[in-house]
Amino acid sequence: MLTSILDVLIAGLLLGGLYALIAMGLSLQYGVARVFNISHGEFIMLGGMATLTLFTVFKINPLIAIVICGPITFVLGYIIHRTFFRHLLTSLPIFGEITILCTLFLWTVFRILADYNYVRLNQFAALAICLVIAIILDFALNRTAFRRIHESRVAAGVFESTSMLFSFGLMFIIKNIAFIGWGPSIRSYSFLQQPVSIAGALFGMNRLVTLGFSILIGLAFYFFLTRTRIGKAIRAAASDPTVAQLMGVNINQVLALCFGLGAAMAGIAGVLISMCYPVNANMGIEYTIIAIIVVALGGLGSIPGSFIGGFALGIIGSIVSFFEPGLALVAYYFIFGLLLLIRPKGILGK
Amino acid sequence: MHILEGERVTKYFGGLAAVSEVSFQVDPGEVVGLIGPNGAGKTTLFNLISASLVPNSGVIRFKGKNITGMAPYHICRMGIGRTFQTVKIFPNLSVMENVRIGALFGCGGRISATEATRKAEELLEFVGLPQVSSTPAGSLTFANQKKLEVARALATQPEVLLLDEIMAGLNQTEIGQAMELVNRIRQSGVTIVMIEHVMKAIMNICDRIMVLHHGRKIAEGTPSEIAKSETVIEIYLGEANAAG
Repeated sequence: MLTSILDVLIAGLLLGGLYALIAMGLSLQYGVARVFNISHGEFIMLGGMATLTLFTVFKINPLIAIVICGPITFVLGYIIHRTFFRHLLTSLPIFGEITILCTLFLWTVFRILADYNYVRLNQFAALAICLVIAIILDFALNRTAFRRIHESRVAAGVFESTSMLFSFGLMFIIKNIAFIGWGPSIRSYSFLQQPVSIAGALFGMNRLVTLGFSILIGLAFYFFLTRTRIGKAIRAAASDPTVAQLMGVNINQVLALCFGLGAAMAGIAGVLISMCYPVNANMGIEYTIIAIIVVALGGLGSIPGSFIGGFALGIIGSIVSFFEPGLALVAYYFIFGLLLLIRPKGILGK
Repeated sequence: MHILEGERVTKYFGGLAAVSEVSFQVDPGEVVGLIGPNGAGKTTLFNLISASLVPNSGVIRFKGKNITGMAPYHICRMGIGRTFQTVKIFPNLSVMENVRIGALFGCGGRISATEATRKAEELLEFVGLPQVSSTPAGSLTFANQKKLEVARALATQPEVLLLDEIMAGLNQTEIGQAMELVNRIRQSGVTIVMIEHVMKAIMNICDRIMVLHHGRKIAEGTPSEIAKSETVIEIYLGEANAAG
């Protein structure tokens, strides 16, 4: 009996480590960058699928995949924030946007004209011409009309809703690109599966490695936030973005950094998940939901809260799975519902 | 050369002109007072200078350079610091951290962590908050939060400091301390523009006073000139006296 309780608890901690890591990423994106990122799980999926490919095709050790996938998802997140979310933050058109819209418009006009035989031109040649005209127009507008318009920020509430909708779209885009690349099949690989005995219970080595890395990254991130320059800028931005920038903090850069770091945590979590569980291109949304539940449980925007919430949910999941494995996700939803009724601000929420 | 100047600066909120064609000049070393009834556009003008808001028209220059439309963090680093009418410290961070953030990010160059700490200690001492550096800023008394804001703004090494009602809500003793603090800041070579409703302070400290009313500049001059001005007495001092 005692062994099985320990067994369940340790299994819960192992699961909780992953949940904590996933939730910290989302917490950073929502707590500081104010993006309720529905596509969070897709970065996890990208990390997992990329690791699988690296391992099965290129024979690269999944532990090395962490240092490959982490930076790549970071850069991806950073760029997405610097372009699309940056645009949602302000009401100013960004360079490139007019190019795309204008090209599509001109090309559509061309094709209508071509249908009625007003023009005779290869449609790809026409596309090229439309693109050139659009780029010139975009460049000219950026140099003249938009040059003196300072980016005026939209209200925080407006950004929260538009950015959430955008992240919804991003989810479908990333997921479908993954489907094209990797197909829908569920796949797994075996890595470090030799059993290790802890207090009489047997666990896969890979699960322990996962827990170790989750805690390591959690601690490293905590010290990053409290000890470094950028960490201070992030905390100031989380506290009050408007005042932070009046104190000399380059706010756009800090927000993009937070979004990128959140994406990197998701990517690394994906690598770790792929060591223990099967992965497929459709796995993202499940983890997004778990991340949302953990963040709500820990307190919106609280990094330590996400860490604690992750382990709490992991242990609960493990206990429920002990009795009925199929009910774990049901239990999560139940807790989520209960939480919203009893303590909506979460464990460490303000 | 003027250290800070505005040329026909205008800002609309919807159809309402919060600041309308206001021109102003501030010379190095001056203390300029900005007064006017509530809703006159004083804080809006500060927001325009520190680039929290962007003017609909007009130009703002700092040391001769056009700064209209620059990013707020850039303007802070160039040397314009400010405090806020409603206290806006980072409540969860410690008093020390609040000031260090100003020092680390606000001054133009890159400074080391130890240097930032040293400077923050110095400034906390300067504003009179040396004993509380490790407590969360949110737990300070209101008067001390205002001092902390001044210290944080000074940490950004401003050449021009915009003080937005630092004496509002303070008692007589605290007002005395605040006036003395403003004088010491000025002696350290910082140019000051201050919005204030406390007449005693404005009349004693300022070299020059500008009066805003309904977004327009209606008067400008030395404290004694302003005190004698019929229009000002009518729209502003009269109202203040009536309010007690």
